[in-house]
Amino acid sequence: MAAPFDYAQGASVRRVPPPRNFETTAWLFMRYSGILLLPLVWIHVLIQDVLVGVHAIDLDYVALRWATLGWRVYDIALLAFAFAHGMNGFRNVLNDYVRGPRARRALDWLLLLGWIVISAIGAVGIVGGVRAP
Amino acid sequence: MTSLRVPLEGSLAYRGREGQWAYLLHRLTGLGTLLFLTIHILDTSTVYFAPDLYEHAIAIYRLTPFMLGEIALVFAVIYHGVNGLRIALFDLRPELWREDRQRVSFWWTIWLSVALWLPAAYLMGRSLIVHNFGGG
Repeated sequence: MAAPFDYAQGASVRRVPPPRNFETTAWLFMRYSGILLLPLVWIHVLIQDVLVGVHAIDLDYVALRWATLGWRVYDIALLAFAFAHGMNGFRNVLNDYVRGPRARRALDWLLLLGWIVISAIGAVGIVGGVRAP
Repeated sequence: MTSLRVPLEGSLAYRGREGQWAYLLHRLTGLGTLLFLTIHILDTSTVYFAPDLYEHAIAIYRLTPFMLGEIALVFAVIYHGVNGLRIALFDLRPELWREDRQRVSFWWTIWLSVALWLPAAYLMGRSLIVHNFGGG
């Protein structure tokens, strides 16, 4: 076991292993996906927003970028992890304000549906690629 | 929704200092980034579903208010990342946590975020002036 907390020195510390349920998994997912998103999101933002810039981005630019399979895989990973992280974060925020179990249940379904639908739309866009206007 | 006002007011009245500020900023930057991300997934998907609409969306992003928003978004993404790493470190290695470290690490988070953001803001600001105001 890890060393006792500094602030608890002298006091007895009761350790309870966290239950392996959905909330524990979601809590761990936020930490690990967050660490993964650090390079994933920052590199994306550095290239597209800072170095290339919105004035140089158009359909041809997207088509050129997605001609490389690696960038499509990168963007799929970005979409999957960033949006899941964001939607679960939003669920955490809403759970601070919505207390009723029925309202929470309805909200969970709404968020799950929104997450699946928008993720699917994004994935189809990346896999389908740029079509001629 | 009456339950929404009280915690919002409580968040401002509660004098939790650094820990509370870090928490508020983390929520704000997270929600702001999620709002943009949702729009961004949908606008990017138009390259497949409606390519004409994509050019239209990009034209909106090139407007000055949106480019200023983009500069703010980059700060949100940097802060949320640095502070998130700080949270993950203390949560996954709880033996490292101490109250004084929590306070000091918040200020390190702020200064590191600003230091990373300034060069990005400079390049994006220059791009804004060159393209939208014909300067340089």
